[in-house]
Amino acid sequence: MVPIRYNVRSLAVRKATTIATAVGIALVVFVLASSLMLSAGIRKTLGTSGKANNAIVLRMGSDAELGSVIEEPSVPLIFAAPGVARDGRGQPVGAAEIVVVAAMEKLGTNGVTNVTIRGVAEDGIQFRPDMHIVAGRPPKPNSDEAIVGSRIRGRFKGVDLGGTFELKRNRPANVVGIFEDDGSSYESEIWVDREVLRQTYHREGIVSGVRVRLESPSKFDAFRAGVENDKRLGLQALRESTFYEKMSEGAANFVKVVGMIVSIFFAVGAMIGAMITMYAAVANRQREIGTLRALGFSRTSILGSFLLESVLLATIGGAVGIAASFGMGLVRFSMVNFASWSEVVFSFELTPRVVVTSLAFACGMGLLGGLFPAVRAARTSALNAIRA
Amino acid sequence: MTLTSLAVRNLARNKFRVILTVAGVSVAIVAFLLLRTVIWAWASGAEWAAKDRVVTRHRVTFVMPLPKRYVDEVREAPHIRMATWANWVGAKDPNHEQEFFSTLAVDPDTYFEVYDEMKVTPDELATWKKDRQGAIVGDVLARKLGWQLGDRIGLQSGIYPGDWQFTIDGIYTATAKSVDRSTLVFPWAYLNDSLPPARRETVGWIVSRVDDPARVADIGLALDRRFDERDTPTISQDERSFQSSFMAMISAVLKAINIVSAVILGIMVLILGNTIAMGVRERTTEYGVLRAIGFMPGHIALWIVAESLAIGLLGGLGGLVLGWPFINLGMGRYIEENFGALFPYFRLESGNAALGLSLAAVLAAIAAAIPAWRASKLRVVDAVRRVA
Amino acid sequence: MTDEQKSDGAPIVQLKGVSKTYTRGDEAVRVLEQLDFEVPSGSYEALMGPSGSGKTTLLNLIAGLDQPTAGSVEVAGKRLDGLGEGALARWRSTTIGFVFQSYNLLPVLTAMENVELPLLLTDLGASERKKRALTALRIVGLEDRVQHYPRQLSGGQEQRVAIARAIVNDPTIVVAADPPGDLDRKSAGDVLSLLEKLNTQLGKTILMVTHDPAAAERAKIIRRLDKGKLVS
Repeated sequence: MVPIRYNVRSLAVRKATTIATAVGIALVVFVLASSLMLSAGIRKTLGTSGKANNAIVLRMGSDAELGSVIEEPSVPLIFAAPGVARDGRGQPVGAAEIVVVAAMEKLGTNGVTNVTIRGVAEDGIQFRPDMHIVAGRPPKPNSDEAIVGSRIRGRFKGVDLGGTFELKRNRPANVVGIFEDDGSSYESEIWVDREVLRQTYHREGIVSGVRVRLESPSKFDAFRAGVENDKRLGLQALRESTFYEKMSEGAANFVKVVGMIVSIFFAVGAMIGAMITMYAAVANRQREIGTLRALGFSRTSILGSFLLESVLLATIGGAVGIAASFGMGLVRFSMVNFASWSEVVFSFELTPRVVVTSLAFACGMGLLGGLFPAVRAARTSALNAIRA
Repeated sequence: MTLTSLAVRNLARNKFRVILTVAGVSVAIVAFLLLRTVIWAWASGAEWAAKDRVVTRHRVTFVMPLPKRYVDEVREAPHIRMATWANWVGAKDPNHEQEFFSTLAVDPDTYFEVYDEMKVTPDELATWKKDRQGAIVGDVLARKLGWQLGDRIGLQSGIYPGDWQFTIDGIYTATAKSVDRSTLVFPWAYLNDSLPPARRETVGWIVSRVDDPARVADIGLALDRRFDERDTPTISQDERSFQSSFMAMISAVLKAINIVSAVILGIMVLILGNTIAMGVRERTTEYGVLRAIGFMPGHIALWIVAESLAIGLLGGLGGLVLGWPFINLGMGRYIEENFGALFPYFRLESGNAALGLSLAAVLAAIAAAIPAWRASKLRVVDAVRRVA
Repeated sequence: MTDEQKSDGAPIVQLKGVSKTYTRGDEAVRVLEQLDFEVPSGSYEALMGPSGSGKTTLLNLIAGLDQPTAGSVEVAGKRLDGLGEGALARWRSTTIGFVFQSYNLLPVLTAMENVELPLLLTDLGASERKKRALTALRIVGLEDRVQHYPRQLSGGQEQRVAIARAIVNDPTIVVAADPPGDLDRKSAGDVLSLLEKLNTQLGKTILMVTHDPAAAERAKIIRRLDKGKLVS
């Protein structure tokens, strides 16, 4: 009922205070939005890694390829399980691979981090339809050639197109290509020939994990039954999407939870700032409020008006914070994925959900921070108009 | 009565606003202390690492084991007082699927001597040394999973399949702050005998105590040189470097936490600065009167800064009062129990507390800088004429 | 100018046995005691008295800004004592026009928007509101300042905007608390002339509290209060 332009202009008139409070809120929203963006980025990276019609087989009890060991004789049994798709020549579509982590020197910062090295067979790249070489060429099978995921190129010594790194002492590998795979976690890996890796790391007779393409996602249950039936083999089958979800859950949730806890702390601080500002506004405008009351505006309309002013203030801050977090889209964040013990590079994804959540958070701050001052305003007596 | 005490008494004029501001500063300081403690706890794990212990592992990837005979060679090397080894078993309690803890197969005769800050009663140690399937667990882990002395437990490992049965023969506590109290250790022989002959006689890493902590880096290098030409090269680091290298893995996270800490301080400065500026605007006439009487601009500025300092210090103290129980009793307990491997010791350290308090004071002074400067620049005539 | 008989009409304000007591800390201050007060419709009365005499309190009671501790207050046919806050507010918006000593314009609104304010409490549409506000501003002679903000107006102009606001919703009674206030003599004179015009040409009942005898002279009738009692 009290015109909105009254609130808007009142905010505009108190420039310094309005800006200070809005910036405080903007900072909070920025932190919140960034952590939500990172969480979304983690989900996206590890999420796109899992395809609906792929399944992965690991040793029972392992939650990552790294700790999993599958005896070679089991591999054909896995490929023969029900539900596995076949290609034009009747061959099962799948990939049995060896995964290790190697400590490599970081470029640019001090220290050493683990990188996932995947030993793939010839069908490795083909198994991933979204994967393509974006620079250089695919490696020759059974050679010391390697290809590197686009996210980690240049982050480690020798790990870039044309570079050389050591798989092991006196066992160099040449990087002949860079690949991309739609932002999945493969982009943080180095790929070499499986047999070369097998020899280098003495993985004779075993592989880490086996992936298969299912005829359709609904065939998974049959596949799983076929694989897990023989308890002696000690295998477990997972949908690829579930597999990555579990891996990313930890990291994504950790970031989201930490982000929210930190933001709530900050929000309390920013809300106190908003409260101080609004209380001062109410105190300074006692005569105005009294006049409005004398003219006949109800207490409720005054309450609503000041609540609105507080929410407006907070929303401005929120919008600024979100705008600032746009910039985070350019930042790359590397974290050690504790499931795979290697570095994965994440990006910050600005999704509509992040924007909505952040704005809602800002509004909430405005509401909560402005509530008590608005109540104080509403309690202003009409007599204040007469008092000098 | 001095100018400073006048400034402090001035705070009582608008008690409500001052209380709110102090609350805002307190919240900011608590958040800051929490973040600071996270980084500190992480780093101090490395700081408190034993200075005379060396960890020897496979140079390329810790996923690969070392031959057991290396242990004897290490023991014979100069400057090595004693050595032990461990294998990572990566087991889980099927009754507590979500609980993550370290499971190691170790040498019963030497492990607790090399890690002498892990304390077990002599009786329990003796029992354990004789029990091939005995286990000694950390007290925090035992409490979390409800294990008592004498319990029979069964674990599952992703790396080594099968049922692993243990009797809890002992519970260890720690004298040093850096020790993870959520580990389970059992005799290596139990593991070794269960492996197929081809995979026996390997160890995960070797830990030795040197006689001269000052030369620990050289001693490590010497060990590595010994194994340089072998099929299995090693890298030996002192425990501190070994733990620091983990820090490198999460350097991005640490950077983020630092940025976020700066943000919270920024919010604090805004809240404080805003409050001070408001007070200054309201009291312009009074400052004018003081100037007319004969006080100098510098006095006015000092007055304002003193007010701000007072609020800042009060807020800083408030942050300590709130933060101490929150970090030490609340969060600290939770983190030590659930993330003990990363944060064995999560406490508010006096250095961090002092940092928080001094930052509150310094930033308060900075926040008052602009309002103080502007107030001091005011011409007396204007100040006396201006209606607040 | 002269004391005229109360011949305008039936009482539009009737206070019977009205008392008002404030508590200041532990003390109870009796501002009005058993007061009977009547104002005939169409009258223009000035209330005078020393500070603390209760004239402002009396004004507040009549304007529906405050409630008596005892007694009955009937204004424009409505019993005010015992009404709730919301009801009083609604009543004020349709019945009373306010003119304050410090003008009390909202600084962030233009003259036009300030005058429109009371109309926002009605069901009128935007164009109708603007029309009426413009009319009111024309009556006070400020139709060429409608888009100005209060800080761009002189004191006298601000008070005239306030008067426009006071009459825009066609109130029954205009209540003025020391309207000449801090104005210079010329502006004060203009304001008082306006009030006179509202009374003689528009038939508004006007109740003015003042401690300026020159201002009081402009009203039809002067009433005096002392220590909460009518003395003339």
